[in-house]
Amino acid sequence: MAALSTDLALTILMGGFLLVVLFYVLRVEDWRSYTPAGGGVGQVEERRVEYEEKPGGLIRWLTTVDHKDIGMLYGVYGLVAFLWGGFGVLLMRTELLTPEADFMQAQMYNALLTTHGLTMLLLFGTPMIAAFANYFIPLLIGADDMAFPRINAIAFWLLPPAAILVWIGFPLALLGTGIQAPQTSWTMYTPLSVEQPTPATDLMILGLHLSGISTTMGAINFIATIFTERDIDWPELDLFSWTMLTQSGLILFAFPLLGSAFVMLLLDRNFGTTFFAVDGGGGPILWQHLFWFFGHPEVYILVLPPMGLVSLILPRFSGRKLFGYKFVVYSTLAIGVLSFGVWAHHMFATGIDPRIRLSFMAVSLAIAIPSAVKVFNWITTMWNGNIRLNAPMLFSIGFVQNFIIGGVTGVFLAAIPVDLVLHDTYYVVGHFHFIVMGAIAVAVFSAVYYWFPIYAGRMYQTRLAHWHFWLTMIGSNVTFFALMLLGYGGMPRRYATYLPQFTSLHQIATFGAFVLALGQLIFVWNIVQSWIEGPVVEDGDPWGLEADGMRSPEWAWFEKKRETALADGGEEGGEE
Amino acid sequence: MPHPVWNRETLLDLTVNVVPLVILAFFFFLFLFFSPWAPNTFIETISLGLILVPFVLLGLLTWVAAHYL
Repeated sequence: MAALSTDLALTILMGGFLLVVLFYVLRVEDWRSYTPAGGGVGQVEERRVEYEEKPGGLIRWLTTVDHKDIGMLYGVYGLVAFLWGGFGVLLMRTELLTPEADFMQAQMYNALLTTHGLTMLLLFGTPMIAAFANYFIPLLIGADDMAFPRINAIAFWLLPPAAILVWIGFPLALLGTGIQAPQTSWTMYTPLSVEQPTPATDLMILGLHLSGISTTMGAINFIATIFTERDIDWPELDLFSWTMLTQSGLILFAFPLLGSAFVMLLLDRNFGTTFFAVDGGGGPILWQHLFWFFGHPEVYILVLPPMGLVSLILPRFSGRKLFGYKFVVYSTLAIGVLSFGVWAHHMFATGIDPRIRLSFMAVSLAIAIPSAVKVFNWITTMWNGNIRLNAPMLFSIGFVQNFIIGGVTGVFLAAIPVDLVLHDTYYVVGHFHFIVMGAIAVAVFSAVYYWFPIYAGRMYQTRLAHWHFWLTMIGSNVTFFALMLLGYGGMPRRYATYLPQFTSLHQIATFGAFVLALGQLIFVWNIVQSWIEGPVVEDGDPWGLEADGMRSPEWAWFEKKRETALADGGEEGGEE
Repeated sequence: MPHPVWNRETLLDLTVNVVPLVILAFFFFLFLFFSPWAPNTFIETISLGLILVPFVLLGLLTWVAAHYL
């Protein structure tokens, strides 16, 4: 009886709370003031009621449906995730300074390993790309906003709870609740992920599911925006928008499948189903097929937009148009199609039929061509160009360099005999870190510096940006080359301890990781300080792109915004 | 007069898609005619299908891209 009345009281309390929230939300916003999502083309203008200005302070950020604000929110979110993922890996690399597990227990190492992978791929990489896309795609294609501004906001606001669910195992473990952080590794292979008792694993899977829903909503929005809100013809579409369109298509096919697999995994964990049971179900191999059918396109979901960013930025500091625009568009689309035919190259060592393996090897080798073509296009663009080595350009060139190393080492892994030797060693870890950190994150830095004047209205500090570049390049190459050499030596992945013969290379990798981390600290300092007190940009074309005829629409928008701002302030006019 | 779609420029641009198509075709015929394993229609169909499906999709994409871009 007592329990019942407690339940009743809680229900009433919760209901009251929800009513208060509803009242507050209705009071803060006029919900009819935005473009109706289902309104379609033509109805937009007559029904739109604009705010004269946005609400101020925190309310602005909590209620915004402006694509630029949402882009900023994605950016801040991505940066926070990047810091957590980076901090986690520094702890792991510190543990790996010595062969024994004397800095932390193996369980903690496994938990950090799991969260590092998931955080960097799904909570940093994907949202960071959405940060740029939200801010700049409408500007680049001449749209007023995204096609569905409110879905855009919902997609973002699903992410913070997703991150809390994915990370909550750590505070729960530290609070001494007896609940351990998930230790499944980012691939969540069964039967380990089914049998692991900690409820934090269930929460993590739910969080990942939520982030998948968010990503899918974002992708639908990008596709609708680029198709329907475009002010330009297809052949004039910039390469970042092309890669985002292809990426969104991939998301549309890959992420819902991951969501289904997550539901099956949760059912196996909690409701006794046998989807992935060793005896009687689809077996652990079914999980691997489902996971990698998402997982390999995910690689291209992460790398295509950075390729687009580099294709956009690199020509602007080479003083000439990108060599072979159509090559790059075609190869982007080709990668999009082929990326769904290569997933089992992650499973060559599982004992699947050799004839099946051969087919996946064939497609994996074929997909190397469109990726390589892009590299040649970037190099040819720079060839005899008027190259200006400022921070965005340096990072773009750094992207190309690291992408070549990461890409070529990947082609070797696509060959079955090589893969069988190197499978599950640090070689694989070195390979994909060259792509994910060495290329994708570096392209993200390039874009941050390139568009910093638009974001902040101020300029970053050049010297610090160059320090950031060199520390990032040296740090990533020292670390990831050491990882590949460890792999050649036979060091297996995912272990908190190792044999003494690997000590030197592990110490070199740890040294490189700290160099890399120092570079990122400088980056954060530069961004924060320059945002607050950097020199104000006095020109609508801070990169001098007009001289080469390379100014793109977002800079025209920026100039217009600056001029309008001056007219409003009226200070300049008053002094004359 | 050059063909409106299949002219020299477009064909050159399309080589980036044609090379993967050739690689896929090469392996398709290689596995079709040379197999060191005992015959098994089911596995062979899946194996060849895994090459054929990406080939057809990429071919279709190439055709569409040549016409509309």
